Amino acid sequence: MSAGPATATAPRRARRRFGLASLITGVATAVLLALAFFAIFADWVVPYDPLKQNLIQALQGPSAAHWLGTDDLGRDVLSRLIYGCRIAVIAAAEGTSIAILLGVPLGLFIGYRGGWWDWVVMRVVEAVVSIPGIMVAIVIIALLGAGLHRAMIALGILFSTSFLRLARGVVLAEREEVYVRSARVVGASDGRILLRHIFPNIAPPLIVQVTLTVGAVLLAEAGLSFIGLGVQPPQASWGTMLNTAAAFMDLNWFLAIPPGIAIIVTVLSVNLLGDVLRDSIGRGIAVTARPQAPAAQPAAAGAVSVAGGAAPCTHGKDEVLRVEGLHVMVSGRDGAEVPVITDLSLGIARGETLGLVGESGSGKTLTGLAILGLTGATVRTASGSIVLNGRDLRRLPPRQLEKVRGNEVAMVFQDPTTSLNPAFTVGSQIAEVLRTKLGLGAKPAWERAVELIDRVGIPRPAERARAYPHELSGGMAQRIAIARALSCNPSLLIADEPTTALDVTVQQEILDLFRDLQDEFGMAILFVTHDLAVAADICDRISVMYAGEMVEMAGVNALFSDPRHPYTRGLLSAMPHAADRNPPLPTIRGNVPRPGSWPAGCRFSNRCDFYRPGACDRLVPLTGSGRLVRCVRAGEIELRAAS
Amino acid sequence: MKKWITTLAASVALALGLAGTSAWAQGSGTFRYAEQVKLITMDPQQQSGSGVPFLRPVYETLFEKSPDGKPVPLLATGYKVDGLDVTITLRQGVTFSNGESFNAEVAAANINRGVKLAIIEGLKTVASAEAVDASTLHIKLKEPDPAIIDSLCYTGGMMLAPAAMADPAIDRNPIGTGPYVYDKAQSREGEVRVYTPNPTYWDKDKIGLARYEVWELPDDTARLNALKTGQIDAGNWLANPQSAIIDRTPGLKLIRGTGGLNYHVIISDREGTVVPAFADINVRKAMAHAIDREAFGKAVQFGLAEKSFQPYGKGDWAYDPALEGVYEFNLDKAREYMAKSKFPNGFSFDMPSIPIYQSRLEALAGFFKEIGITMNIVPQEPGTLARVSRTTNFPATNLVWATNTDPKFLALRYIYKDAAYNPFKATPSEELLSLAKQGLESVDIGVRAPIYKKMAAELADEAFLIFVTNTPILIGVSDKTANNPTVVYRFGEDSINLRGLKAND
Amino acid sequence: MLRLILQRLLALVPLLFIVSVLTFSFTSLLPSDPVDLIIGDNGTQEQYELVRERLGMNQPVVVRYFQWLGKAVQGDLGTSFFNSVSVMGAVMQRLPVTLSLTAMSALIAILIGVAAGVAAALRPQSWVDRFATLGATFGQAVPNFWFGLILVAIFAVNLRWFPATGFTPITQSPWEWLRSVILPSIALGTASSAAIARQVRSAMVGVLQQDYIRAARAQGLSARRVIFKHALTNAMVPVVAVLSFQITVLLGGALIVEQVFAINGLGTLAIGAVRQQDIPMLQGLVLVMVGLVVVVQLATDVVYGLLNPKARPS
Repeated sequence: MSAGPATATAPRRARRRFGLASLITGVATAVLLALAFFAIFADWVVPYDPLKQNLIQALQGPSAAHWLGTDDLGRDVLSRLIYGCRIAVIAAAEGTSIAILLGVPLGLFIGYRGGWWDWVVMRVVEAVVSIPGIMVAIVIIALLGAGLHRAMIALGILFSTSFLRLARGVVLAEREEVYVRSARVVGASDGRILLRHIFPNIAPPLIVQVTLTVGAVLLAEAGLSFIGLGVQPPQASWGTMLNTAAAFMDLNWFLAIPPGIAIIVTVLSVNLLGDVLRDSIGRGIAVTARPQAPAAQPAAAGAVSVAGGAAPCTHGKDEVLRVEGLHVMVSGRDGAEVPVITDLSLGIARGETLGLVGESGSGKTLTGLAILGLTGATVRTASGSIVLNGRDLRRLPPRQLEKVRGNEVAMVFQDPTTSLNPAFTVGSQIAEVLRTKLGLGAKPAWERAVELIDRVGIPRPAERARAYPHELSGGMAQRIAIARALSCNPSLLIADEPTTALDVTVQQEILDLFRDLQDEFGMAILFVTHDLAVAADICDRISVMYAGEMVEMAGVNALFSDPRHPYTRGLLSAMPHAADRNPPLPTIRGNVPRPGSWPAGCRFSNRCDFYRPGACDRLVPLTGSGRLVRCVRAGEIELRAAS
Repeated sequence: MKKWITTLAASVALALGLAGTSAWAQGSGTFRYAEQVKLITMDPQQQSGSGVPFLRPVYETLFEKSPDGKPVPLLATGYKVDGLDVTITLRQGVTFSNGESFNAEVAAANINRGVKLAIIEGLKTVASAEAVDASTLHIKLKEPDPAIIDSLCYTGGMMLAPAAMADPAIDRNPIGTGPYVYDKAQSREGEVRVYTPNPTYWDKDKIGLARYEVWELPDDTARLNALKTGQIDAGNWLANPQSAIIDRTPGLKLIRGTGGLNYHVIISDREGTVVPAFADINVRKAMAHAIDREAFGKAVQFGLAEKSFQPYGKGDWAYDPALEGVYEFNLDKAREYMAKSKFPNGFSFDMPSIPIYQSRLEALAGFFKEIGITMNIVPQEPGTLARVSRTTNFPATNLVWATNTDPKFLALRYIYKDAAYNPFKATPSEELLSLAKQGLESVDIGVRAPIYKKMAAELADEAFLIFVTNTPILIGVSDKTANNPTVVYRFGEDSINLRGLKAND
Repeated sequence: MLRLILQRLLALVPLLFIVSVLTFSFTSLLPSDPVDLIIGDNGTQEQYELVRERLGMNQPVVVRYFQWLGKAVQGDLGTSFFNSVSVMGAVMQRLPVTLSLTAMSALIAILIGVAAGVAAALRPQSWVDRFATLGATFGQAVPNFWFGLILVAIFAVNLRWFPATGFTPITQSPWEWLRSVILPSIALGTASSAAIARQVRSAMVGVLQQDYIRAARAQGLSARRVIFKHALTNAMVPVVAVLSFQITVLLGGALIVEQVFAINGLGTLAIGAVRQQDIPMLQGLVLVMVGLVVVVQLATDVVYGLLNPKARPS
């Protein structure tokens, strides 16, 4: 996936996310602070004594005197709701603390000791976890009796299992760490090792687990009180208020609303705060980089080259594909678009192999995907034409384009182990294409699939057809992918770095396979690669791409013997190292600029040794006939190379 | 001899029934009743008095209450009470549904089993029973009991087949002489009990149904919905929001049955062992005055209750209208009494509670709070209230009692030093003791009524029983059931008499 | 696959054993005396002794446990303390009720969860995605029993579309059965659908970025086919694990939601058993529930294996 255009916008996105996150955090924190406030100062803020009844004014709706109405005994619902905050805080604190105090030490202990201690406790934990939580709580309450504190002990025991497993997991992981072992060698006591080395590592996941538990405890407390096994009336808890409301639903349904909303808002706040906390802690823990999502920055720089005229090109008669003036744009999250491919024109003849080479981020893979019309939601082909077998694919309705894909053009991807669906057998994946594209029946499709597998040189094809991708080697999987791509006999095959992920020995076999198949089927191949050696091996012509545009195109021999563009020269001189694609090319300083930050004029100018101010700062057209080059100094360099 | 009630008419009817043509109709249609308590056991001698509608289809009693509340023979044909000797003649030709015949031997075995199990309160006065001859039963009492025949109208008089008595699983395999038999196969545990006609029933004309069902619907709303949707034809309710809804829903009727339940607070520790304040008569009177019975009946019992100041309901023979309003709600008076007492600053005490009394106690706690008394509500497991009320764990308690229970049980429960609900062994006043004794000396209501009226007045004076409200027995029915002429509600009981009951359509 | 099932079933034996020991020792520690509850309000000391004898309460716990276990392995979970009803019979009678609820709510949770998750994943950051994500966060904060109360108030009491209470067996009337389980199932399934939607979304977003999705599209397979066959099959792999857990949650939640709708299921049985301290019933209930959970886990393992060839034992 070299199509990933830039993530120079990451800070902006992070800012946006931070803005939303801080808003959520703010509101959630405010709710929880209010809850804490009401819990502590309930006695002072309530308008009425929550137990003060007025039987004559029972079951009234909201009024000026009673903002939330009165319950079955004429008690003020608002006051009871506020007292309910106190119960909720006590419940959450008690349940969670018991879970931690019970689970963490036990988990640490069994994780550290291991042996039969560990075995026995873990079997018990497994048994408890296999019973629905509420049933565990019910059984424990049967033992302890109903009531707030007893119910919280029950929930604490229930939720302690997750803390236990968490603590044990951390200990097991840390125990193997070198520093623990070395500490032991030095002669530190078990207790010191646990405290000094292991406990700090538990803190982050522990905090995450606490946020999860608090919400769960609040909901469970309400549920238990609702069925009469938790808080006992007349004590006002939200769950018991709902219990009362349920009995009087027909007479005053409003009774169910305030406590319900209170529970939802509280749990929601805890969960949202937990999400934010998890995110931030997660960022702290995770060391692996996030995958770079396609996104871009508005074209503020305005450095867009809009080359109007199509570059001169040979329009061969037996041309299978002709791309003309292709412009591809990427849109960021904020809707602004940035060009990633500009003014690209190329053609491939029947039986010909055109190499598309360049560094990562030059737009090679995206070109292939643009031809297929599969650039994804955030990428748009803005203008240009893609004529395949005489039809402009860009003008085809989606349904027609779907028909063309597979039948007339197919694609082989870089990593065969990820381009085959792991859930299905390889044979069925080829047969599926045959059935849906060619309308073959199930049996003929399967037989044809086996034939194709045989054709790409896999021994025992009938047996291998029933294998899953993970059961095949990389080379074999790539052969399967090629077989699938060729199943409908397309006139154009796009091969996107098809050998890069393979062993060097296997690479050669696959390249040979491509050549053999091209001889047999006669399709045109667009061969995308960063590896010039591979390109030299298989291509007839090579087109070099840089920063979204073609900088040079020539026959393979001409290009290698006489590169005209300084970038091509740079690539060629870096060739021995090219097998290792990640480090920047040694002879070209810097990196390919991100889309949106291309230099005005020649896009290679900021890395070019031949940069000449003025001449190179204007738009540079693709010039030449037969072989093309996009450099104002191409002639001079050629001379210098010759001399 | 004049006490012998010879039921010639019944015998004739029986003879006619037996001689009747084979064209006897089996009954048709289904009647569905819903019971609010869960069925614990179908052994009448082991159940504590609720859930009788599950038993009535199968078990018949020796006597039953006539619509005016007088005992009339059912499986018996007559009786004679003479001091400690009760002689009962039995209906002949009756068989149990399993083919075993009903006779004095079986009846005596039944009574003796009930006495031995000692769960039925009404049989506590019985020493033993024996068969005199095939159709004459002799019961020997331990002490004079003017209410013994009354007791035989309820579970104490239900007759079980010998095979049932010997069955360890009798709680789900009832066998009696009743018009219907329990169909275990069609019944669903915890959901519905199905009864089908008893082919050997002795009075076949009275079988009006092809099927009778008793649904177990403890959830008040569910029972209400079942009544609304026609899933059931009738069901029993307590005074709660759902019965109040029935009362005002078109198409449904709330039947206020005879008899009812009296809800009262019992101050067990009236000699002040644990809560000294309870020994102070002024405190007790203050509490009695502090309760707004009107509001209580309206809000907590949804207007389905009447204020009560004595153990009996209006219409009971021992009821004394003179006691109405003796402890009318009067906060000033209540506070005056408190000020007069040795505890003007109030005190606190614990009160046991079960879920169905929760809102009542919350309301009472609110009333007592107004005169400085803090009542802590201590939840108990359902079904254990009566039990803890007999222990010294709580200085006071709250219970209900059926207002048509014979007044003699008042003394047995609350007055005697060894009374069931006198755990602190408080010594009763001379006055109460002698009234209790007098009440047993005759079986004649005319003689007994003035005695018990006096007792009620004395109880009001001593104020250790604080009566709160009376609720009638409530049966919710559909209009169709209300218009069904064969529907006869049993006197003082939350069930419908099955003999002669026909389906609504 | 057969080996997997057998392995699972074998693993079930020690698990059930441990659960039975746990519940037995736990319930034997009950503070209040069940005998008190059985003999009722008017019991005497003699009766007390009699009942104690009958229940075998005089014997030591260990003896009682092995007697019970001996019968349990034969499918006899004993008899309720309060009547002659067999525990197995009572549980089996209520099982279809609770299973109806659990299955229906699981179905609803999966349908809504997968639909919302896929819709959100197809257009990340779109309003559909935001709405689904917000809904999922919200859905997980709503107590199921409260949601049930509100549903009853709206759809049963006011609109009268569904019955407010009760349950009709499917054998009696499939239509009435559906009507009786739909509201409780929605109340129960919403929170789970939220959890599932979250999981499906993140799994689906990940899968849609996979090469094989692009490859399938490049091969000219239709978008619908690629999303629902190629992508969803793979996205469901992590979801299935969550699903197994969610079904356990639903089974527990059913116990409470049953109370809102006055449905006579395992929950009503369990709460009644706790109130009465009916020990054999509690033990039986716990064992049967563990059995159910294990069956669900087994089923999800099988589905997991079907979806994910890598997880299959070769």
